Amino acid sequence: MYGMFLAILAASIATVFAGIGSAKGVGGAAQTAMGVLSEDSSKFGKMLVLTLLPGTQGLYGFIVGFLILINCGVLGGNLPTAGQGFAFLAASIAIGIGGMISGFAQGKAAVSGITMTAKDEKNFSKAMVSITLVEIYALLAFIVSLLVVISVPGRAI
Amino acid sequence: MKKVRIIALRQDRKRVLEHLQDSALVQVTNSGDKASDGFERLDTTAQLKQFERNAELTEQALKILNKIAPEKKGMLSSFKGRKEIDPDEIGRIAADSAKIIGICQKIVKLDKQRADYAAEQVRIRTSLAQLEPWKKLDIPLNTKDTPTTAVLIGTLPKMYDDTLLSECMARECPELIFEFEILYTSANMTCLVFFTPKKQRELAEKALRTIGFSQPLNPTSRTPQVKMQRQQQKSEEIAQKDEEAKKEIEELVQYRERICETQDYFVLRSEKYAVLANLDQTKHVFVLYGYIPEEDCEELQAICEKAASCVVEFEEADPAEAPVKLKNNRFAQPAQSIVTMYSTPSHEDIDPTPLLAFFFYFFFGMMFSDAGYGLLMILATGLAIKIFKPDKRMYNNLKLFQYCGVATVFWGLVFGSIFGDAPAMFYTMFTGQPITMQELLPWPTLDTQKDALMIMILSIALGLVHILVGMGCKFYVCFKRKEYAKAFFDTGLWMVLLIGAAVLAVGMATNGTVLTIGVVIMIAAAVGLVLTQGREKKGIFGKLIGGVASLYDVTSYISDLLSYSRLLALGLTTGVMAQVFNMLSQLFGTNPIGIIFMILVFVAGHAITIGLNALGSYVHTMRLQYVEMFSKFYEGGGKPFEPFSTKSKYFKTKGSKEE
Repeated sequence: MYGMFLAILAASIATVFAGIGSAKGVGGAAQTAMGVLSEDSSKFGKMLVLTLLPGTQGLYGFIVGFLILINCGVLGGNLPTAGQGFAFLAASIAIGIGGMISGFAQGKAAVSGITMTAKDEKNFSKAMVSITLVEIYALLAFIVSLLVVISVPGRAI
Repeated sequence: MKKVRIIALRQDRKRVLEHLQDSALVQVTNSGDKASDGFERLDTTAQLKQFERNAELTEQALKILNKIAPEKKGMLSSFKGRKEIDPDEIGRIAADSAKIIGICQKIVKLDKQRADYAAEQVRIRTSLAQLEPWKKLDIPLNTKDTPTTAVLIGTLPKMYDDTLLSECMARECPELIFEFEILYTSANMTCLVFFTPKKQRELAEKALRTIGFSQPLNPTSRTPQVKMQRQQQKSEEIAQKDEEAKKEIEELVQYRERICETQDYFVLRSEKYAVLANLDQTKHVFVLYGYIPEEDCEELQAICEKAASCVVEFEEADPAEAPVKLKNNRFAQPAQSIVTMYSTPSHEDIDPTPLLAFFFYFFFGMMFSDAGYGLLMILATGLAIKIFKPDKRMYNNLKLFQYCGVATVFWGLVFGSIFGDAPAMFYTMFTGQPITMQELLPWPTLDTQKDALMIMILSIALGLVHILVGMGCKFYVCFKRKEYAKAFFDTGLWMVLLIGAAVLAVGMATNGTVLTIGVVIMIAAAVGLVLTQGREKKGIFGKLIGGVASLYDVTSYISDLLSYSRLLALGLTTGVMAQVFNMLSQLFGTNPIGIIFMILVFVAGHAITIGLNALGSYVHTMRLQYVEMFSKFYEGGGKPFEPFSTKSKYFKTKGSKEE
């Protein structure tokens, strides 16, 4: 049963920490966006896009968490061994911490992007691209977690 | 792009300009900062200002109307194209414009009055709040002393009751004879009237001052009761006036549509007058200078000759000066806005739209990757185009998503995803036999979860193709400019190196010979780079160092390639989210309540998935184009072609073209 506990812990770590990153990032961006919208509500579409950009980390964390749950038998199937549980736990740290910190950073970038777009809407695409530059690091963390999580059930550890 | 010069009689000026504006073929420029010799220009600044002021006034009036009586708009009305009107109607609008402007002025004036009323109400409310504690006082606040008694009216900054205050005063000044009445008391204020024999007035004042007595700021000669009543009465009057003004504005709401038309009319006029200021004129003729795309020359000639007797001359334009008009086929045109959002290509760039269009649709599809969602996109955009007949800009945007939808269906079928695993789930739910999408679909599919590694390799391979295409463009551009060193050494060698790396990767997976070939290609390219990249440095040593240092660029290519792993990540996100909602939807089984629950969760869940992932796919496809591909070759910085046309917001005349 240790394996099960470790796997659930891993799923929680992946979902919660990456979620914290996104929540803080999106929250800050949304505050700024609302400030802009109070002046000019016609910018809603663009503001929404920029606000949502730091939201992907949470999704990545959730997906890793979900795949762990699927692969560890919570939703039916074989129970993981303790070794597999540790492997899940180790994998979840990548997207948990990577997602959280990149979420913070992307949130800050999004805030700047929003103020830039508020000054001149032509800056929108530049802001968008600059904000997604941060995303790659969350993405790399996600891929690492993902590759481990999908290969663990087939291994005898 | 050609330069065009139109020479015609001054009496035909109006007609020629109207035809040019309707046909939207020519971008008007001028012969220079000043009119050429023998010609003069019309100064239209005053009229322009007047038109712009009028347009602004109408906008203000419309905003006020919308505040008071919001226009009922459907959620989808932003797709709607502008209303088409008959060219003859413009005459009517013009004739009415003075009246409509008058109405707008009235609306703005009424609104200003209402703002004043609101400010006055605030003032009354403050004054009422100040008077509230004095309500019980039945003499005016500024009551003077009687012949024998001094009257002191004011506040103390603490809560007092009768005994406390008496004790206090007795302690401060035992010999003082006094009488008082407390009118109001709260935690930090006490209002009171204080009586004392006139000869003791100074004593009393001193004693009171020591416990913080102060007189009211604006004493009046009426009792607070009367004063408050008056204020309330005034407030009611103002409220009524405000209501009347509001009603008056509401009555003017019926003019909304005509105000919109009038605004457009003034926008059109101001555009025309801006052009007018650029014409070279004499007493009898005028000359118009402009740019026109080569393929439109004949049409322009026909239009001008039909409108009036005139001479139209064309000549080659200087490409560095001329504006750039993108011309693409139906498939690529929707992506033009993506290119111009980055930057308009300069005359030295190639138009990247067709390439960008293909990769944009392709990558969007791979990230959104669900046949069901793709089908929804195709249907929704198709319906919107059919029902709303949108303007060109909106039409192109809808088309963009329609093509993206086609790619989404394609990738959805490849990944075996139709609303996630909905078909398999329903099959299992109603028959009880477990089945996967792979077993259900008759063609081989890639499972985003189980074959993730495979799809990641595929993503990076597609990325390599994308980057190589970008570099190929750079090669072509440099070659065309005859910068052969840049073409072959700076771009070509890197391309060879990347291809070598790809061959090497294939070799690692298959057999030794291919691997060796890859290694040889890579080493050859690397040696080439070391030998050529330092060619601008001085001295053999400098050249060599420069060459070796350039190999460090390989890190940027690696990070570019890794960036394409987002194709996998976002594709997987869509699939998993859809699967999660499918799983949630079947939570309560196949009984009636369960079915209702299932439908609700299914619809809401997939709506959320579509919203989040379509946004993500759009943003990340754009990034792949801008950061990974455009950085390889695209410079931009061209001036966009902006023809003299009708840039109206609400109506367009029948037969007029759009830019």
